[in-house]
Formats: sequence, C-alpha cells, structure tokens
Amino acid sequence: MTARSLLSRLTVYAVTLLLAAFIGFPLLWMLISSFKPSAQLFVSPPRLLPTEFTLDWYRNLVHQSDAPTFFWNSLVVGMATTAICLVLGTLAGYAVTRFEFPGKGIFLVSALLSYVFPAIVLFVPIYMIINSLGLTDTLLGIVICHTILTFPFALWMLRSFFAAIPREIDEAAWVDGASFLRAFATIILPLALPGIFSVGVFVFVLSWNEYLFASVLVTSNAHKTIPLGIAEFITSFDVRWGEIMAMGTLATVPVIVLFLSVQRYFLRGVLSGAVKG
Amino acid sequence: MAGVLFVMPSIVFLAAFVAYPVIDAVRLSLLFVDFATDETKFVGLANFAQMLRDQKAPVVALNTILWTVGSLAGQFALGLGAALCINRDLPGMQVIRTILLLPYVVPVIAIALFWRWLLDGSYGLVSYLLQAVDILPPNQSPLAIPDGAMVSVIIANIWRGFPFVMISYWAALQGIPEEQYEAARVDGAGPWQEFRYVTLPNLIEITKVMFILRLIWTVTFFDIIWLITRGGPGGATEHWPIWIYQESMGFFRFGYGAALALTLAMALMVFSALYFVLSRQGTR
Repeated sequence: MTARSLLSRLTVYAVTLLLAAFIGFPLLWMLISSFKPSAQLFVSPPRLLPTEFTLDWYRNLVHQSDAPTFFWNSLVVGMATTAICLVLGTLAGYAVTRFEFPGKGIFLVSALLSYVFPAIVLFVPIYMIINSLGLTDTLLGIVICHTILTFPFALWMLRSFFAAIPREIDEAAWVDGASFLRAFATIILPLALPGIFSVGVFVFVLSWNEYLFASVLVTSNAHKTIPLGIAEFITSFDVRWGEIMAMGTLATVPVIVLFLSVQRYFLRGVLSGAVKG
Repeated sequence: MAGVLFVMPSIVFLAAFVAYPVIDAVRLSLLFVDFATDETKFVGLANFAQMLRDQKAPVVALNTILWTVGSLAGQFALGLGAALCINRDLPGMQVIRTILLLPYVVPVIAIALFWRWLLDGSYGLVSYLLQAVDILPPNQSPLAIPDGAMVSVIIANIWRGFPFVMISYWAALQGIPEEQYEAARVDGAGPWQEFRYVTLPNLIEITKVMFILRLIWTVTFFDIIWLITRGGPGGATEHWPIWIYQESMGFFRFGYGAALALTLAMALMVFSALYFVLSRQGTR
C-alpha cells in the first residue's frame, strides 16, 4: 500500500466516523437518558454515563399515561394504511407496467404530481372532506390521510418492482390458459413479494412517524397516535424529559428494526430512483 | 380493459382525496370563512391582496429562504461527501452506511425532542458545552435566541435530510462504468482529475433532479420546526408552512390560510418550471 492510498483510506474513515458520530450520538443520548434516574438526568454539567440505571420512566409510561393506547393506535393506523396502500398500489403498479389503456399517461403524471405535492398546501381541504364524512377524531380518518400521503410513493416504487419482472413470464402464463387475474395472483405476485413487502414497511414507517394530519384530525386521547402523544408531553406544563426520552426510544426502536430488515430492498428502490425523503 | 379495472380504485382515490382538495383549496382561497357561524362569503382576490399588504409576509418569506438555503447547502455538502466515502469498498463500510441511513426512518417527533433535550438551557449537553466556552450565557438555550433557534432547526433538518442525498449520490456513483476511470488513468489522470472529469460529470443529472425534489420538500417541511420551536422565539423560525398552519388552525382563517398555501404552491410550480427550462437549456 502506498503512502497516498493509506492517507486516502484514513481520510475516508475519519470523515465517515465523524458523520456516524453526528448521527449516532443524539440517538444514543436519547437511549441513555431514558435509563437515567432523575438525580443523574437533571444535573449540570450533564453526566455522560450514568452510574445507575432505572426503568422508572418506562414504568410511568405504562402505568400512568395513555402511552399504551398511543402505541396501539399507531399500530392499527399503520397496518390499515399499509394494507390499503398495497392493495391499491399493487393492482395499479402491475397494470401500468403490463397494459395500455386510455388515460394511462395522465394517470401516471397525476400520481407523480401528487407524490411531489406538499401536504401543508392541502391539509385544510382534506380536513374538510374528512370532517364532512364525519370521520374527524377517528382512526379511519387518520388512515385515509396517511394513505393520501403514502399512496403515490407506494405506487411509484411498486411500479419499478413490477417493471423489473419480464413481461414474457405473464405471456407464458396467458398462453398456458391462465386468466389475467390468475396469472397475476399465482405467478407475478409471488415474484414481486419481496418488493411489495419492503414498500409495505416504508408505508408503515411513514404512517408511524406522521404528525401533521394526525394533529389536525384528532382531539381525544383515545385516538392519538405516538407522535401526538409525545408532543403532548412536551407542550404540557412541566416538560417531563424522562418520560419523553423513554417514549422517543420506544417510538424509534421498532422503525429502526423494520428498516434493518428491508435495507437490501430499500437500496434497490433507491437505485431505481423511487424513494421519498 | 383489465388494465383500467386494476387502476380504477386508485383513480377514484386520487380524484376524491387529491384532485378534489386541490380544487377546494382554490375555492377556499377566494372566500372569507366566518369561524363562529361557519358562514362563507365570496371575497374574490381579497385574501391575496391582504397577504401582499401583510407586514409578516416579507419576514416569513426571508425566514423560508434562510431555512431552505441553509438546509439544502448542508444536506448536499454532507450528502456528497458521505457518498464519496461510503462508495469506497473498505472493511466496515457496510455498518457505517447503515448507521448513516438511520435518520431516514427516525420519527421527526423523536428528532425534535432529543434535539430539544440536547439544547435544554439547564441540563442540555450541547447547551452546556456552548455555555462552557462562553458562546452562551449560563442557563441559556440556543433555542431562546432568534439566530440560535434558526441555526438549531437547520442543523436538525440537515441531520434528518442528508442521508437521502447521500444515498441518491451513492446510487449514481455505483452506476458510473469502471471503464471511464480506466480510460482516464490511461490518459494519465490523477485522483483529482478523475474526480473532476469522470465523477462530477456523472453526478450532474442526479443533482438536477434531487435539487428540485429536496427544494420542494424542504420549503414545505412543517413538522421539524413546529415541533422544535413552534416558529419562535418571536417568529424567528416562522417559515411559510408554519404561517399557513397558524392562520388555518390557530386563528381558523381558512380562506386566508388557503390563499397562503396556494401562493406557496404556485411559487414552487413557477420555480420548478423555470428550473426545468433552464436546466434543459444548460445541457444542450
């Protein structure tokens, strides 16, 4: 190894480790803080590592707050949003890669436009629709809003997965006498399953993390999702940092685990240029 | 025919929940909505005229520009630098790549709250360090100072957004054919020339697309500022989306809020159109 390539390796490691610290440190700090007893949490100068650990903040969340309800609501909303998105998106994503039909171009362009269209511009009219359907302060109302946000993204990503499956496979099935639906359900769908699964994970994560629509729609504690629940801890009269850090940790761990499980497909999605930030 | 059937549910959904709200937003922007009685009155372009006279408009617009320029500059600089690094096939790089991607899925609410915890005036670690070197007075949080708050939310947004830029650049780097580098080396190019004449030209297309996407998403990104500062202190971090939200949900001025929202959407559309025309001319 030449001196020059050693130097360039060192530079690469130095830069990436610095960035990894920038990313990792706040997350670790949240985790550590959630286990610190208040005597070590509320001190100045702050203690880097606690000498004793406590589960009090987590206990408080479970026993003295609505946190379990918030988690349950987020889970229900996330799963329902994912299910709707995947059904709509799989059918449409398959159709646009296999068939020609009038208006296909317009459909794709409008899906792309709604993919870019910012939620903040449309949240009042959408709120009014939900209101006129009598669905404010219901989980179904949040599900509809989250589907609006995630569906265009799901469609674009699913389209790229279906486009990667050769048409000849469908055609062979049709020649063998399978109907469209049969060929789709028994041959194409299983092939696309890893892709569909990873899109599902990302829809779930987007829904799990969504704040704006949920905050506009929901008023009662019984229907709050996790982001709303945590926000309440912050805005309430005293800021309860211990519980907040515990809740933040609990909200973050599941999505990180999910992300790690589909990272491979995520990177493939990135390579096909269909990812939302 | 099967194609239409498969797409129909999506079309109905998009029409009901995207197309209709767009039309409704235009309609709302021409109305005065009485919050107490729920009555509406057609006022033409009065909401837009009021916006032009509103003393808040230039302040909020400036905040929006600062927020956007700061966030994008940081995200693209860190994103490109990180992409060039993780593109090297060195031991351990896969783990580092994974860590650098984490902000992509961390809930914004979690980002907002650990940021506020780090910046807490009495117990926050970052505030403590800034106080220790006398940048901040004792027990002061950067979030309590107008400029400090703006810098803080921008850094939080860079934290959240640069992985997207990094991974997109990384994908583009992976797509550069090795032959181009070999050809450059045959012609006697050093590392800097390889970067300048092979790597950079191959990143131009992705930069163009990513720039406009990031711009739209950054300008309109509401959650992170709202959850960290609520637009404060004293409106120092109030950008356009927060203004829309305050007028609509804080004061229930739905008509005015819709006018502000449409103005933002139109500004972005005009900017995007100009951008595409100009960038196409640039490649010719």
